[in-house]
Formats: sequence, structure tokens, C-alpha cells
Amino acid sequence: MEPLRPGPMNVPGMTETTEAIARARAGDAEAWGELYRNHAPAIFRFCRRALPTREDAEDATMEIFMKLREKLSQYDETRSFSAWLYRVAANHCWDILRRRKIRQDKETEDVETMPLEHPDPNQLDKLIEQRTSEEVREALHKLGPRARMALVLRYYSDMSYDEIADELGVRRAFVGVVLLRARHELRQALEGKSALAAGGTP
Amino acid sequence: MSDPANPVSQEGPDRTMNHLDEITCLMYAERQLDRERAQAVSAHAQDCAACRTLLRALERESRLLTRAMLEEDEPLPARLAQFQRHTGQSFQWIWGLIFGLAATGVYALYTEFIGPWMGRLEQAGLGGTSLLSLLIVQGAFWKGWQSVITLFEVLAMLIVVGFAVVIFRRRISRRGSALALVLATLCAALALPAPAGATEFRHQDRVTIAQDEVIHSDLYAATGRLRIEGTVEGDVVVGAGEIEIAGHVLGDLISSSGTLRVSGQVDGNIRSYAGNMTIKGKVGHNVMIFGGDLNIDRDAVIGGSVSSFGGHLTLDGQVQRDLLGMGGAVTLSGTLGGSATIRTGELNITSDAVVKGPIDFHGDNPPDVASGAKLASPVHFEKIKHEENYRNGRYYVWRIIWAAAYILFGLALFKLMPDFSLECVGMAERYGPSLGLGILAGAGVFVGGIIACVTVVGLFIGVCTLFLWWASLYYAQIIAAALVGQGLLGRTRENWPLIGRMALGMVLIRLAFALPYVGGWIKFAVIIWGIGAIALALYRRLQTKIPAIQAGAAQPVPVTAGPAL
Repeated sequence: MEPLRPGPMNVPGMTETTEAIARARAGDAEAWGELYRNHAPAIFRFCRRALPTREDAEDATMEIFMKLREKLSQYDETRSFSAWLYRVAANHCWDILRRRKIRQDKETEDVETMPLEHPDPNQLDKLIEQRTSEEVREALHKLGPRARMALVLRYYSDMSYDEIADELGVRRAFVGVVLLRARHELRQALEGKSALAAGGTP
Repeated sequence: MSDPANPVSQEGPDRTMNHLDEITCLMYAERQLDRERAQAVSAHAQDCAACRTLLRALERESRLLTRAMLEEDEPLPARLAQFQRHTGQSFQWIWGLIFGLAATGVYALYTEFIGPWMGRLEQAGLGGTSLLSLLIVQGAFWKGWQSVITLFEVLAMLIVVGFAVVIFRRRISRRGSALALVLATLCAALALPAPAGATEFRHQDRVTIAQDEVIHSDLYAATGRLRIEGTVEGDVVVGAGEIEIAGHVLGDLISSSGTLRVSGQVDGNIRSYAGNMTIKGKVGHNVMIFGGDLNIDRDAVIGGSVSSFGGHLTLDGQVQRDLLGMGGAVTLSGTLGGSATIRTGELNITSDAVVKGPIDFHGDNPPDVASGAKLASPVHFEKIKHEENYRNGRYYVWRIIWAAAYILFGLALFKLMPDFSLECVGMAERYGPSLGLGILAGAGVFVGGIIACVTVVGLFIGVCTLFLWWASLYYAQIIAAALVGQGLLGRTRENWPLIGRMALGMVLIRLAFALPYVGGWIKFAVIIWGIGAIALALYRRLQTKIPAIQAGAAQPVPVTAGPAL
């Protein structure tokens, strides 16, 4: 069986605008405005998924763009702009979560030690069948920060396991475990079960 | 947890065969397995319906997740759309303007103040041609009051250093190390000692160098009372309540004391911070005094020039070169070989006076010149205008230049220490504690610094403390300006918007300082308030270090700055 490649291949509004970047670097306010218009909605959604509240996401979006403006000269043009953008955003959001110390030490322990129940394939299939995107988004906010961040990095930003490992500060081999654990938490939340096992906060 | 390296490991619900574990399925679906393991999984899935279902479910789950993530469920909030307009605006021309003004300001400062001052200093025997040579080559800081750094120079220097650091920050890569570099450079510059050979240290209550005693080196002393009857072949650097030089000092005398009497002979220069200084003997070179009164007795002969800053100056003896008097009243009864430059206070010239050079006097009242005085030329008198000349265009130009310099200084500080600046502004919102602590810190640190300076052993620490205290007077105004700006435009946690608010606030408070009568008081209050805020922020930084470690992980901490990319 040929597996389908999951995850987005591209993100809306993320067209590479090399020219605008070059002009924005040179201090062209209009080019900067263009970059903002093109990328702000996607970055806002990223923050909205990764951070607990809407206000947090709004603040973070502004802060990320302030930071981008300062760091624009450091951007390596040979690489993807949107990927770079998401790295900045991910760094910022993860830093916010870390600073708030929402991430609990216990969580790491859980992920590393607690065995995961093998799912019944048919039941899982059924659960996925029944749930809407909206319900998934709601459930996402019941997850612990790291689980949520891992899912956002993988399925929103389309980051590789290496990149996720780098962002979250875990070993590369551990990323799959973090993602799987996050999915289990999500399934529990979707089934209406408590996600407290992972120390999730709404 | 199963080992993802072993794809066929876990016994599933269907007991007829070993099923793939979930992590292996996930990694296969995510294309994270190597070719060999991926082929093994693929082969197994073709034969096993349960695992095929699991794989398909995981893939569907991935798609659901992706869809849920990417769906454009919320429009961009209005606040962010507005922010777009803000970020779209370019403030570069403003910074260009400020830089331009600053450049003009530095040039004007140099030609109007620093240049003439340097000339004066050179005239007074401080042959340094640049601040750098004064500071480093001559080890002037170490030698106490040898250098007079004007407020302008240090401010200009700080701005330049600050900007250099901001510009090169990327190369230095970390903000902390940049700051450390600046401080280290400053410390290195300050710590460079004068190239002294052998030195003698005395540290007793009362030090007397007896008549037949000869010290073949420099003498460093910190004491209650110092009396030199013998000979010191090097310099004398001393902090004491009372100093009497009855003997012979072949080098310079650098002192900080309550009273200083020189009845013997000093071959070099005298530079003193003293309450009262009397010279009866001979001084080979120049005399400079800060703070107190200076009496040059009838028998005294000074080979160089005399500079007095602060107290009364009475000249009965002989000064072979020029005289510079600033601050107090000046009485001329003796002989002056060169010119006299006198600013403020009063000038009395008695009938015994002989002045061979021109006399330039800026004061409140015309000089009192006795008819018998022998002057080379009449006194050139200029009345000091105490009120600011509001009609003069230059007054406004200078106001603008100063405001720009402050904004630049603030910009450099806010960029160098964004978190700390933000904390200071936050602390400044607590008016009561800020003002109270400001009075305490403002006075206490200054007094502490002076005390450290007076005891020669602590001179370096003392000078550093005073330097920091002095810098904090400016930083305080910047903090207050940022708060005023915040009051008008609303709070912000971001660096650049905060700098913008600071710039606006600075313009406003500088306008307030310019108000007649109340301006000075406003300035005083602003400085006290700002210093209090800085002290509070410092206190909190030191305080929170320990509780932060002890506090539970769940305790949220406000975000103050972003991460390093």
C-alpha cells in the first residue's frame, strides 16, 4: 500500500516574494506592508493554534512581525522565506509558553515513561470519520502546550522531524513519540475524555 | 514504548500474527522510516487487514489535522490589520533627522564648548590634546582630578559607544556579551594605572613625614592628618582631613581634603579637591582647586597658572602665568604674569595688584578696581544674562539638539537593555516608592561614591560608582520620558514602540524643563523619580532571582522579551 503523504504541501498566503523581501530589507515601507499583508493572516492562525487565547495570538503576531522587521537582514535568501518565517514564529510562541512555565516537568516524564494503549483501528477510523475540523480545533486547546505545539509545527507549518526536534529541544528520535502522544491526547479530547493525563490546560 | 526500529513487534488484538505497533505505522505514514523498514511495513500491511486499517486511519487523522489546522476559520483581527498600517509606516526619516541633528550637535558642542575648554585646560597645564590621551595615556582617572571631563564629552562618548554596540551587535551575537564588552572596555580604560614606579602606601590615622625623612618614590596616603616636613621625590596622592606640606615635594600633589596648607615647596602641579587651600610656599607648576576657597599668600610664588572652580580666590602672592576663576569671588592683590579669565561672582582688584595680561570678566556686577592697580589693559567686563534668551534662535536650536541627544542616548540604552528598561518603566508607574527610593538612592549613591573616592584605596570603585550615578541621572530622565509617552499613547511591551513613546515623552519633558521658574523643580522631580524606578527595578531583579527558582512551574511569568532566533 502506498501511504499518502500527510501534512500541507503549501500554506496559503505563503508565496515567495523575493523581490518584496529585497525591497523591505532596503527599508521600503511599502514592500514591508506587502510582506505583512501576505503573511500576517497565516502567522496569526499559527499563533492561534499554538497559544491558549486569542489575545495571546494577537500579541504574539505583532511581536513576531516586530522581530521579523529587525531580523530581516539575517534571512538567507537561498532558503524558503515561509519556512524561515515559521521558525521565527515557532521560536517566539514556544518561548512564550516556556516562559509562562505552563510546560510541566511531569509532562516529559509522562511521555517518556507512560505506555500508550494500542488503538483499535476500526474505532479510530470511526472517530475520525465523525469529527469535524472545528471539533478538532476545539480539542486542540485541551492539549498540553508541547503536544499542541508539536501538532501545529507538523501539520500547520509542515516542519520536518528534524526541525521539530530543534524547535522543541528534544532528540530527533523522540519526535515521533511526542507526535503520537499528542494524537492520543487529541483522540481522548475528541472522545470527550479528560486529557488531564498530559497535564493539558484549556 | 516500542522501539520504532523494530517494526513488527507488538502483539495486537488479532492473535494470529504480530501486528505493527502504532509508532511504526505513524512513522511509516509520515515517511520517517528508512527504505528497508518501510518495505517491511509495506509488505506486512499488504497481508494484514488490521494494520492496513490502522495505517489508513492514521493517514486520515493526519489529513483531518491538516485540514483543521489550515482552515481559515477566523479573519485577521482589526487590531492586527491596524498594526499593519503602523508597521507599514517608515520612521527612517525621523531617525535620519535625529542623526543629522546629533551630528550637528556634536560639531557645535566641539566648537563651542569642548574646543575652548581644551584650550583652557591646556592653558592650565593639562597638556592633553584629546580626551583619549587624557584618559588613557596620562592615566588621568587614576590621578584623581587631573582631568575634567565635561558632561558633553561623556554623553557624546556614551552615545557613540552605545551605537557602535548596537551596530556591531549582530557580530557580537549576544546582547549580554555586547553589554559586557562595553563595561569591560570602560573598566579597562578606567583601571589603567599611571605608570608609577616604586610607590609608598601609608594608611594610618596620622601620617607625618619627618624633617629628615626622604621618600624616594611616590607617596600614597589615606589618613586623617598628613604632615610632610621631609622630602618626597615622587608624587603625593593623598586623601585626608587635613594636609600640611611644610617640606618638599618634587613631583605633583594630588589631594582630596578638608584643608590643605602648602608652606613648603611643591615642584610639580597641585590638583586638589579641598574645602580650603592656602599656599604660602612655592609651587613649580600649576595649581588647580575644586570646591573650596584658595588663598595665595603674600610670600607664595606659583610658577605656572592657577585655576579655581567653586570658591573664593584671593591672590596676594605671585602667579607667573594665567589665572582662571570660575564660581566664586576673586580678589587680586598680588602679581599676575599672564591673563585673568573670571566667570561669575565678583572681582575686586586692589591697589597693590599688578596684572600683566588682559582681564576678561563675566559677572553680575562690574568689577571693583582700585585706582592704584597696575593693569596692562582695562578690565573687559560682560554682564551675565541669567534668563534664557527666548528670542534668540540659537536657544531653540540648542534645545532641539539636546532633546535629540537624549533620545539617541535613550535609544541606545533601550536597545542594549530592553528587558531592564521595560522593568524600569514598569517600576516608574509606582510613583510613591519610586520617589521615595529615588531620594534615598540619588543622595546615598553619590555620598557613598565620594566616601569611596576620599579613601584612596577605594578610588577606582568610587570613581566607577560616581560614574554610574552620574549616568543614571540621564537614564532616569529617559525612563520618565518613556512613562510620559506611555501615558499618552498607551502601554506597550515592545522595544520600538516604547522607544517611540520615550522620544515623544522626552520632547515633552524637555519642554517642561524649559519653563521659567518651575522647570528646574520639574527636572529635579523627574530625576528623583527615574532614579527611584531604576533602583526599584534593580532591587526586584536581585530579589526575584531566588524566588523564581523556588516558585512552582505553574506560576506564569510575564513575557518581557522574545527569544533569540
